[in-house]
Amino acid sequence: MVTPLGSDPERVLDRIASGESAVGEPSGFDAAPFDCRFCCEVTGFDAEAYFPENKTLRLMNRDAQLAVAAAHLAVRDAGLSIGSDYDAAEVALFGTTGFAGMPVGDVARLVRNSAGADGGLDLRRFGREALRRIRPVLSFKILANMPICFVSIFEGIRGPNAVYTPWEGQGARAVAAGMRAIRSGRVPCAVVGGCDVKTHAFAFITLQQQGVFRSWRQSGKGTVPGEGAAFVVLEERERARRRGARIRARVVDGCVRTTDGEAPSEALSAVLAGLGADRPDVVVAAGDGEPVRREAEDLALGEFGLQPGTVIRPKGHLGDLFAAAAAVQMCLGAAAARKLRAGRRLWVNCFGHGSEMGAFALEAV
Amino acid sequence: MTRVVITGVGVSSPVGSGRERFWDHLVAGTSGISAVTLFDASTLPVRIGGEVRDVDFAGLAERFPEVMEERDRKIPLGLAAAAEAVDDADLDEHDLQTACLHVGVGLEVFALGDITPYADAEDIGRALADAVLNDGNGRVLQTPLDRIADILGRHLGVRGGRWVNCSACAAGAQVIGDAFHLLRDGDGDIALAGATDSMLNPLGLGGFSLLQVLSDENDTPERACRPFDADRKGTVLGEGAAALVLETLEHACARGADVYAEVLGYGASLDAYRVSDPDPEGYGARLSMSAALRDAGLEPGQIDCVSAHGTGTPKNDTVETTAIKEVLGPRAREIPVHAVKSMTGHMIAASGAVEALAAALTLSRGVVPPTINLRCPDPECDLDYVTEGARAFKGDTVLSNSFGFGGQNATLIFGKAP
Repeated sequence: MVTPLGSDPERVLDRIASGESAVGEPSGFDAAPFDCRFCCEVTGFDAEAYFPENKTLRLMNRDAQLAVAAAHLAVRDAGLSIGSDYDAAEVALFGTTGFAGMPVGDVARLVRNSAGADGGLDLRRFGREALRRIRPVLSFKILANMPICFVSIFEGIRGPNAVYTPWEGQGARAVAAGMRAIRSGRVPCAVVGGCDVKTHAFAFITLQQQGVFRSWRQSGKGTVPGEGAAFVVLEERERARRRGARIRARVVDGCVRTTDGEAPSEALSAVLAGLGADRPDVVVAAGDGEPVRREAEDLALGEFGLQPGTVIRPKGHLGDLFAAAAAVQMCLGAAAARKLRAGRRLWVNCFGHGSEMGAFALEAV
Repeated sequence: MTRVVITGVGVSSPVGSGRERFWDHLVAGTSGISAVTLFDASTLPVRIGGEVRDVDFAGLAERFPEVMEERDRKIPLGLAAAAEAVDDADLDEHDLQTACLHVGVGLEVFALGDITPYADAEDIGRALADAVLNDGNGRVLQTPLDRIADILGRHLGVRGGRWVNCSACAAGAQVIGDAFHLLRDGDGDIALAGATDSMLNPLGLGGFSLLQVLSDENDTPERACRPFDADRKGTVLGEGAAALVLETLEHACARGADVYAEVLGYGASLDAYRVSDPDPEGYGARLSMSAALRDAGLEPGQIDCVSAHGTGTPKNDTVETTAIKEVLGPRAREIPVHAVKSMTGHMIAASGAVEALAAALTLSRGVVPPTINLRCPDPECDLDYVTEGARAFKGDTVLSNSFGFGGQNATLIFGKAP
């Protein structure tokens, strides 16, 4: 994974445990007009460090560059050789991407060359001037499926696939799709994950318009947008053992539900109840600074007798990575599992904005 | 194994909206391509497209009042198709509550005209934020991609799970395939699966024309999309939507539902080649078709018709023809292969769903729609493309291909109603 607090899940967990935070003021734009004035950025990221002199990187937006880097780290961490351990067609790829909205700077020239004398859109000028100055590669930067397609190209993955959008609950759907593909016997291995970049002005405008920052105005607390990408390699256990893989955790079960119209704590309780009877020792919580969801999660966890001390809350430290968040949660859950005795359980909650709410039960091995 | 059937369909398309109108025009070989009228495209290199012109927006707004506020055409087009499918299947409230919803969508649309007033600002982002956030008119700069799923979920009361798929040109087929697998795996009895898209806006049409995949034959729009023709110049952008109600056979029988067709198999693959071009060897396309055959438990000789991706781009059509021949072997030369896009244009995310619906009607009505505009066959495209008008069909299966920009491929196989 590539997150505002680093790329090594265990190290990121340590930084969270020690109270470090990536929350800061945006470096690329003035956040004064927004109800939320903070974000969590991945600083110093250079995709070329992962793929030196790869010209394809130029076709990518930041979302895609983060995605290919994170997927590469995940495949490498799994010690997976696609094409050798598995045929490329036996590896599935399920990903989630966020809004395709791009940094305003990327479209500034297009906007300037399309404006009429009255400030409105001059379609004739757009055709005559703006379009000619657009680089064709712009299309590859705005199509929502592209980051995951780039992952397939960089990692040589050719199996079943889908790209979901735009929130964390759809990220949980991507994880669940990977689990389903393996459990049904369609593939022995699935790479699942997501990417998102919500650290530019255009993203902030969209988030504010969609009410994501509402609680900042009401209570001075709320969601802090972030950026990053994360991928998890899921494998059928026997095949993983056979190739000598280091297994980080067993995915025991997962539950993703549509929760429209339900009280958030009741909705989450129903999701958690879908994870079976065994109580976890650790929970990777999905609540961010948004008070309603945070309280709902605490209430729901309380119903299962879970104490705050057992709960890791990543989003307070590395922000809400939206489409990437479910995979980040899963990465951190797998890392936390390595610190537990075999057989101990963890719950990984995946929800935020949008109608879908998910959770997964992991077991330490 | 649980069998899955189609019990409701709905469509908005350039050749006609509503099941009967769509089918009549498709079978008649009517082109839906014409000069773009949705905006002034006069200075664009490509000025033609497949516009949907017969959706009753006012009627739709009575059922979905949000439509009045939507600037993104894929929302009303998709809602119209979904409403028709749900009505057609005659689902009751309980059926809808337990159903899952799989929606395929294209690109987020943002209106350039919302930003141009701030073009001269030193910091466009800041100026735009100041204006938009203080405007108070509720106009959303960018329609979120899960918008239609939210509206449908809310109005129909669908609670069995929502998937929002943005797999470009493969999305329409993937949502049907995903829903099929879900029901076949035993996770529910009913799914509403469909896709919607409209790239017929200045950035969409302009952006695609820059990629040089569009035909620029602006003077002869109805002839511009010529899949498998030696003189093909590219595809034509269209817009549209289709929705299917999928149901387990057991559930459909129990409530006495009419069945259009059965979903037999689904396969998906990735080219892992380049984002800009299909794999010239067609490996991803072959993988997708082979996976669908395996999933359906069918041999190549059991496929009776192919609904091709058939975009009319020079690269796609030869690669697809080669892949069909390699996967189906001698059977490829014995069966009809037709391209719906010759009439509708390429509806991007919606295409796979519209073509799946056409495949279901091919089976239920016993007619294969033609491929129009194919007058000069490409020597490398040497299959039976149904060029002489619609053809009577007595086969049992149709294989439908969707190959996406970026290298995502999906294949569905449908069978006659049990």
